[in-house]
Amino acid sequence: MINATIPRLAIKGLTKSFGGVRALSRADLTVHPAEIHGLLGKNGSGKSTLIKILSGYHAPDEGALEIDGRSVPLPMPAGKSEMHGLAFVHQNLGLLADATVLENLIAGDHERLNPWRINWRAEAARARALFDENHLSLDPGAVVADLSPVKRAQLAIVRAADRVRAHQSHGSAGLLVLDEPTPFLPMDDVSELFAMMRRLTARGVAIIFVSHDIDEVMEVTDRATVLRDGHVIGSFVTAETARGQIVEAIVGRSMTTDRIVPALAPASGFTIRVESLSGQTVRDVEMSVAPGEILGLTGLIGSGYDEVPYLLSGASPARSGQLAIGDARHDLTRMTPTIAIDAAIALIPADRQKAGLALDLTLTENVTLPLLGRRLSGALINHRLLARETAAIMTRFAVKAEAPCQTASELSGGNQQKLVLGKWLQLGPRLVLLDEPTQGIDVGARREIFERIIELCAAGASVICATSEFEQLEMIAHRVLVFDRGRIKAELSGSNVTKSAIAEACYQESGFHATV
Amino acid sequence: MRLSELSYQAERFGLVVVWIAVIAVFGAMRPDTFLTWSNFSTIFGSEAVLVIVTLGLVIPLTAGDFDLSIAQTLTFTSMLTAIMSAKMGIPLVFIIPVVLAVGALIGVVNGTITLYFRVHSLIVTLGVGTFLHGVTLWVSDSQTIGGVSSALMQYVIIQRFFGIPISFYYAIWLAAVIWYVLEFTSFGQQLLFTGRGREVGRLTGVAVGRVRLLSFVASGMIGAIAGLLYTGTTGSANPSSGTMLLLPAFAAAFLGATCIKPGRFNAWGSVIAVYFLVTGINGLSVLGFRTFVQDLFYGGALIVAVMVSQLISGRKERTL
Repeated sequence: MINATIPRLAIKGLTKSFGGVRALSRADLTVHPAEIHGLLGKNGSGKSTLIKILSGYHAPDEGALEIDGRSVPLPMPAGKSEMHGLAFVHQNLGLLADATVLENLIAGDHERLNPWRINWRAEAARARALFDENHLSLDPGAVVADLSPVKRAQLAIVRAADRVRAHQSHGSAGLLVLDEPTPFLPMDDVSELFAMMRRLTARGVAIIFVSHDIDEVMEVTDRATVLRDGHVIGSFVTAETARGQIVEAIVGRSMTTDRIVPALAPASGFTIRVESLSGQTVRDVEMSVAPGEILGLTGLIGSGYDEVPYLLSGASPARSGQLAIGDARHDLTRMTPTIAIDAAIALIPADRQKAGLALDLTLTENVTLPLLGRRLSGALINHRLLARETAAIMTRFAVKAEAPCQTASELSGGNQQKLVLGKWLQLGPRLVLLDEPTQGIDVGARREIFERIIELCAAGASVICATSEFEQLEMIAHRVLVFDRGRIKAELSGSNVTKSAIAEACYQESGFHATV
Repeated sequence: MRLSELSYQAERFGLVVVWIAVIAVFGAMRPDTFLTWSNFSTIFGSEAVLVIVTLGLVIPLTAGDFDLSIAQTLTFTSMLTAIMSAKMGIPLVFIIPVVLAVGALIGVVNGTITLYFRVHSLIVTLGVGTFLHGVTLWVSDSQTIGGVSSALMQYVIIQRFFGIPISFYYAIWLAAVIWYVLEFTSFGQQLLFTGRGREVGRLTGVAVGRVRLLSFVASGMIGAIAGLLYTGTTGSANPSSGTMLLLPAFAAAFLGATCIKPGRFNAWGSVIAVYFLVTGINGLSVLGFRTFVQDLFYGGALIVAVMVSQLISGRKERTL
């Protein structure tokens, strides 16, 4: 460690607001050379805002940045962070799957490459030397799509490290920001990745390791900083800190949220059962929802909870699974949206702009599509009738818009979501599947959406709500299932559904199975 | 509110107004050659085939697909009609179903390759169209084939109402059918969602694959109808007949999407766009311009149409 007294990176008083909401409030962060520094926090804690300010994506309202003791003016001009010795590896890795390892490695390396002539042989030799140095067995000619996930992650990291090293202007080994590189990797591969990070720090590289996974942070980092609600709660030397302290810093002493859902009352109707459900991530999941019940599904990134609504509604294919609604059983490997709709299942997808509404089309067209050929059979479409139906739904769901003949793109996010809710709830579904139902929606609309969902349950429908917002689950869920690596690891119900209990269950050590 | 309603109406009928203005200008310049009923009845009658090809494009375009093969479907079915009629002496009642079935089959091929192999329809139909052109040249030995049964010409070009050949009324009838399907049937709504919100449609139970396949079958069959009418119009089949129609048809379909129902490919807008374009070309040729004005006009119209529709959608985004 040369110049151990001068930090590689020093952030002071970084502040950023979005439309009156403080995403980051006077945040300080110091990262030393050759250090792996964990950055922890829930969704919305300000982690990604901080990273995006460093990469030049956001301009901060206030704050100063020093790298190796030199002051760096903010906002960081987009694409200039490498010049200052910062490189980023995001969760999607930024690799072109169709291209070769070598093509990906040199992509964007404008400073070093001769733009008029690429010497492929020399570049391949250079790549092999680089891979050898990092104990990485990669063929420069291999196509990235054929690599295992961990090899891809390693390639992205080696590329970032190479890039900061190649830029000699800053004169140091640089800083890598690894933003959630692990959630989709098997556990064995994670340790391979960690070994690689260790070899990089041995050469003086500093690493900021952003993760949801406390175990990983405990294992690999030297120090860690926790953010909550835009504030830095504290920085810890990992080896001297107990796991529980970090969990508490992440979750915070919780203020109670208003629980707006009434206690689950016995209702008539069928309990809906899901048996041995497997998809991309989830494996052999069993669950059931009573009539009138709101079941919350949650977990950390990559735990698979957000896959369940799509598997149950036939939006994406299940590898195995059965759905039992009373006497009717559905094979989920053969489920389609049409079968789901006929079985009175409604899916409210998270991607409102692409899967929820056709933004170019009118409100009437969007709302009445599921009625055509169902409740409104017959060949002729009566436009006046459809507009009346739509107007009635707009009133019932408090959609603020000028007229049913407007296009959906003209509505605010909250009104769009209320419209989607109206589109599906008019069919009188028995099971409603929600994925992040209030993403990007203002508080008022959020409340209205919750009220509609609770009304629906009072009428005897069952609701499954997948979300990463623990507070939302505390407000509306009767029961919560916490997912970890594709399996249910904890179940909370009744008064135990609090955001701190959910968070604690999420951050609980892997493999631990609790039923509270 | 009133102002936006007014500007919407202006947008809907803008092209009609421009069309009338074009007629007025040419009419003032050449009142005795351009502004005559015989000139207009010729325009209406002779361009009915172009109207039908344009209408054929409207269906796959609404579903979000391109059918570049429609022009060569026309050429091929036209040649098939001429060969069956003139060389084999098969009566019209047998020729028509065969030709329609061939059009449908071409649509099935387009749709199957597009859907099953997930290739963009632009590429698939470009290939299928070129292949069909090759087959046409082969079976016709690159010759124009004449001597088609006069019954066909009788039902296409010779019979007239109000001085306009009957083929014009076929085109109007087809426009009415497509307008009805797009406007008043659930299939029309399914086409729309397949084109504009495919994932939304899929999750709402629209069989988007089947809808796309059917839209290719529809455009193939309409291409075959256009082929029959083309043969009937000239009494012969020319192996390069369709090639000249493809770009005008696309220009008209996109220009048509700026009027009547702005922002949507629509039947009446397409009809108006075709006649606006051919009126302009006819007027310019009456003034003595040579054939190059056709390409200038059609190419220019396509570019202007897509620019206008981008402006319309861009304006909507800004008002968000």
